[in-house]
Amino acid sequence: MDPVIKVEGLSVSYDRKRVLTNVYLDLHAGNTYGVIGPNGAGKSTLFKAILGLLEINTGKIRVEGSTIDQKKKKLAYIPQRNEVDWSFPAIVMDIVLMGRYPHKNLFQKLNSLDYEIANDAMEELGILNLKNRQISELSGGQQQRVFIARALCQQAEIFLFDEPFVGVDMTTEDRIIKVLQRLAEEGKTLLVVHHDLSTVEAYFDHCILLNQRLIAYGPTSEVFHKDNISKAYGPQLPILHKTGMIE
Amino acid sequence: MEQILEILFTETWAIRALIASMIVGLTCGVLGCFVVLRNMSLVGDALAHSILPGVVFAFILVGYSALGFFAGAVIASFLTAIGITWIQHNIKTKNDAAIGIVFTAMFSIGVMGISFVSKSGGVHLDLKDFLFGNVLGVSNQDLYLTAFIAVYVFLSIIIFYRYLFATTFQPVIAETMGISVRMVHYFVMLLLSFTVVASLQTVGVILVVAMLITPASTALLLSDRLKYVLLISAFLGLISAVIGLIVSIALQTTPGPAMAVTATVIYLLVAMFAPRKGLISRSIRKSRQNRKINLEDILKQSLKLNEKGKLNVLNLTERITFGHSKLHRYLKYLNANKLIKMEENGALSMTPAGIEEANQLVRAHRLWETYLVARIGLTEEQIHEDAEKYEHLLTEEILDEVDASLGYPRTDPHGSPIPYKKGWHKINPLSNTKIGQTAVIANDQPQQIISRLWEMRLSPADKLEVTARNEEAITIQWKEIKLKIPNSLAEKINIEN
Repeated sequence: MDPVIKVEGLSVSYDRKRVLTNVYLDLHAGNTYGVIGPNGAGKSTLFKAILGLLEINTGKIRVEGSTIDQKKKKLAYIPQRNEVDWSFPAIVMDIVLMGRYPHKNLFQKLNSLDYEIANDAMEELGILNLKNRQISELSGGQQQRVFIARALCQQAEIFLFDEPFVGVDMTTEDRIIKVLQRLAEEGKTLLVVHHDLSTVEAYFDHCILLNQRLIAYGPTSEVFHKDNISKAYGPQLPILHKTGMIE
Repeated sequence: MEQILEILFTETWAIRALIASMIVGLTCGVLGCFVVLRNMSLVGDALAHSILPGVVFAFILVGYSALGFFAGAVIASFLTAIGITWIQHNIKTKNDAAIGIVFTAMFSIGVMGISFVSKSGGVHLDLKDFLFGNVLGVSNQDLYLTAFIAVYVFLSIIIFYRYLFATTFQPVIAETMGISVRMVHYFVMLLLSFTVVASLQTVGVILVVAMLITPASTALLLSDRLKYVLLISAFLGLISAVIGLIVSIALQTTPGPAMAVTATVIYLLVAMFAPRKGLISRSIRKSRQNRKINLEDILKQSLKLNEKGKLNVLNLTERITFGHSKLHRYLKYLNANKLIKMEENGALSMTPAGIEEANQLVRAHRLWETYLVARIGLTEEQIHEDAEKYEHLLTEEILDEVDASLGYPRTDPHGSPIPYKKGWHKINPLSNTKIGQTAVIANDQPQQIISRLWEMRLSPADKLEVTARNEEAITIQWKEIKLKIPNSLAEKINIEN
């Protein structure tokens, strides 16, 4: 089967500082990839490259065999919560409906089907009762769920989650896990930047270990082991002792 | 007043001024929302100032012409926008500094141009008119241009509403959806320079920024949805302009400043009196919260004293942080609400409802302490202060979740029992059943009771049949087991209704 995302020799630098060097990846549909690596490993950069948000120095990225610009509708990005001004005058519904924008051209209005899709997404994430709530009145976990509901409305094939479990409550974590499972079962491709090494094996069937270059990627059972983790984290090893990943 | 209204509706110049002001108020109000939300107030100010040289050069080239001014102004603001962006990208100068450098330079060139023109020509081009507007001198041509710009701005915002919403709220997401954030930014700049040109005659380049940001900021205090914010802001812009115009005619001052002042007065009024975000309603909320905390503290202390049989005003005064007169007022309130009973002679006693309310506070306090120890890892010494604060703030909803996530603990880290949730302690005890009745053991039991049941080989959901009872015990049959349960225990076993 052809990979959904094909990264070939990707290198990115900011202001002459190399962030990613020569990354090759073949990512397949139906897999959930945990993207693991220390701070500054280039996880966000990899996401931005796949999303077409930055200029690539060398290498290329193909989504379903085409360039990213042709496939933007297939990609849904769930960013971290702290990037947003939550005092913005909008209610939950307004934000979730943003997920329908890519499906509308300039003169098309949002119709009842769009509202239905948005309602279903909010229902799945347990935030339907909050749909008229101003977004600043939400808890961190609820805000995260709003972003995920919006991504579901995009009806994309590839979902990129940037640390969805950071600072959320247990109910939210459970909901997110269920959504991830459902999407994977439906053959979507999921990439999740993740920091908590103790849950990697439980949450992701595949892993991408990064530290400015690709350390390893593949099924979690094959690549998520001590050697690779120490290679990825290097000088940050003390943290690993704490999490119990390394004796 | 009547005289002014008569002028406004009969004199042609006044009608033109009124219409121009209304259009400008509306346009600035609507576009201003995006200016404020996109943190472009400074950019708006910059564009407004920087159109001056464009207007002056247009005057030199084609004389006094609304269209000429329009073209000159748009070109000047374009040069400004490009200049700012170029500096930001190519020279290591801070963003707002770059804006400041470019617009002051442009503005100065404009001012120099005006003095040059008025010296050499003898024609009338008054700097003051550009700075503060001259709405009373609006020509028909000006009016058409203003109306045309307004329609263009409104249509653009309606058509590109989703683009504007997405790029303003979350540019990164807009970009991943294929919306060019940079194009939208330049588009907003273009609308902004059009609007500034349209406002030139009415409020002038210095004050246009007031019409852009003040009504919008006011509207943001009044609504939580962008669509309504836009409508409210448009309305506020409109009435600020109209009232300002009337005031200026009445006081025979310049209209532009009068409009800006009106907008500011409305802003201040709303900032004070807005239903939810206003200063007054916020301070009312705060004092209500304080009152609630004080009342709750009295209840809790009363409960503690009550348990020791020492509940009276004197002991209560020692345990609270506020004065005696305040305490007396609060006690009256609690008495009226039947939570604490106050006799004629001043003796106090707690009503069952009062005990229940107080127990809820104890529940919040002890659950939170348990949570801090079990989940956050604090020690027993560290938790009391925090719990004192949070017992007043945690909602029942949150407490239930805390309770569930801790597995319904029965005691707190200090070993004190955690009271049941309101209503729950009204258990339906096994001791209430009659002979021949069947009783199902409820899921919700105190931990001690569960272990006692366990010792008797019973567990929740078991169906018991009551076969006999006397003053000491109740006899039940469960499958083959026949058991005598003492009444003292039967009173504590909760059964389903």
